[in-house]
Amino acid sequence: MPSETPRSTARIRGHPIHPMLVPFPIVCFVGTLVTDIVYAVTADMQWANFSAWMLSAGLVISVFVVIAGLIDALGDTRILRLRAAWIHVLGNVVALALAVVNEMVHTRDAYTSVVPEGLVLSFLVVLILLVTGWHGGEMVYRHGVGVGRDREDRP
Amino acid sequence: MSARLAALAAASLSLAACGAPAPGDPHRQVGPNPYLPDIHQYLMPPAKLARIVGWSGGRTPTVAPGLKIQALAKDFKGARSLYVLPNGDILVVESDGPPAPVRRPKEFVMNLLEKKTHSPVKAGNRIVLLRDANGDGVPEVRTVFLDHLDHPFGVALVGSDLYVANTGSIVRYPYQAGDTQITAPGVKLTDLPGGPIDHHWTKSLTASPDGTKLYAGVGSNSNITENGIGAELDRAQIWEIDRATGAHRPFATGLRNPNGLTFEPTTHQLWAVVNERDELGPDLVPDYMTSVKDGAFYGWPYSYWGQHLDPRVKPERPDLVAKATVPDYGLSSHVAPLGLVFYTGANLPPQYRGGAFVGEHGSWDRTQLNGYKVVYVPFAGGRPNGMAQDVVTGFVSPDGKAYGRPVGLAVDAHGGLLIADDAGNVVWRVTAAGG
Repeated sequence: MPSETPRSTARIRGHPIHPMLVPFPIVCFVGTLVTDIVYAVTADMQWANFSAWMLSAGLVISVFVVIAGLIDALGDTRILRLRAAWIHVLGNVVALALAVVNEMVHTRDAYTSVVPEGLVLSFLVVLILLVTGWHGGEMVYRHGVGVGRDREDRP
Repeated sequence: MSARLAALAAASLSLAACGAPAPGDPHRQVGPNPYLPDIHQYLMPPAKLARIVGWSGGRTPTVAPGLKIQALAKDFKGARSLYVLPNGDILVVESDGPPAPVRRPKEFVMNLLEKKTHSPVKAGNRIVLLRDANGDGVPEVRTVFLDHLDHPFGVALVGSDLYVANTGSIVRYPYQAGDTQITAPGVKLTDLPGGPIDHHWTKSLTASPDGTKLYAGVGSNSNITENGIGAELDRAQIWEIDRATGAHRPFATGLRNPNGLTFEPTTHQLWAVVNERDELGPDLVPDYMTSVKDGAFYGWPYSYWGQHLDPRVKPERPDLVAKATVPDYGLSSHVAPLGLVFYTGANLPPQYRGGAFVGEHGSWDRTQLNGYKVVYVPFAGGRPNGMAQDVVTGFVSPDGKAYGRPVGLAVDAHGGLLIADDAGNVVWRVTAAGG
């Protein structure tokens, strides 16, 4: 029996997987920006190393975030009728593409692994995440994606 | 603000992705005034890793006309460097680097890739003695001379004191002419900068002509300070060590990875071959050989080939860059010179006398392999005089696989040129053809 609101397909006991995973890459990418800034100010390599690890971890976890999100988007056609969903998807495609380039920039050695390109890319990624994250919230809190109760999820 | 940043990012990225320089002719970078292109930084540095396949079916390296080559001995465990004792016995140092740490995700990937460019044989971390008393190229004696060493590389004998430069210390052993094995415990003369990172781990060693001082090459702990400037304490230097006390001072600094320390026989000047920095392009930065001047600074990490700034190093040190010494002779980029010997023998044809042979371990940081050969640099009046010539080649197959890689060089008692091949695990001997 269909729920009143768009439902999440990738879920565990009624809990959608996508919102469970998505904080990890967000924190990693925000953390990358923070440690990039600290490196740019201090030129102390440990901060650039933190950036490289967080950026890598963020990208790896993003693979699973994207898979869960795609399953949701394709699992209930009502989701892609939402304008917020398209902003969320397209924005994050751009953000992840920039993060991949940023990962390569961060494989350089010493200062130019961060300044200037790495720092700019880290900033752009976080800026896009602010927009796409907002629209993710729009989908859940305004349109009720994944929060609706349907019969089979009822305990 | 974001639009400006975006434009900046787009501009810099398009710069990084497009217009990457193609590898140029390495000959333009051989000699005292190498061609120096603009710096290029990459998203993925251009690389070609030569997989080690080993020598099979009687295959040997190729030598220049008038020469012949044969294997003096095979089946070593990482034959890295060579030393000929006064009685003609040949020491073969079997060694490899300590395990490379993973401090960044990049190093995890690099360590995996580099595995195939090194011999699969686990290094002996010992010294093997060969004796070929009659000089026929077939050793009569082969013994384990010194065992259980700590990533050894350099050896120097002064009187009856035999010094071995491990990666973390110089140790002295008693030696008498004719010894084929040393069992006496060594006495440490001095510590050297070793772990925990130990990026450039080979410690080249030589003694001053009067025997009072030792000189040890101590390479940098990184490509270009990516492990922090603190990791470079006392590194990228040639140490001068007092043989009596073990006290040391920096004899010359700013040498990223100095090896092949040797005194030029006519001027008694110290010379070295130096591995320069990577990931600035296929033709940057040229490796070089140079006379090493007391107190001189050669640029690393702040600048290369004199005053050419490296943008990857912060904070900058304009005071040091201003006094950076220009090296004597470029060998072209990424050839990885690790062996240097002045030829004072009488076996090889006259055109190989008085100059220097250089063992080039070979490149990874360019799409066309460079190095993987032994070249001869003619000298006149104690200075390089003319173009380097290929003497021993054929270490690489036409499809880019490596049969072997030349490292340390020495001249044996009969005037043969010896080449340690740490990938093929052979010691090669080059002599005059028909001789």
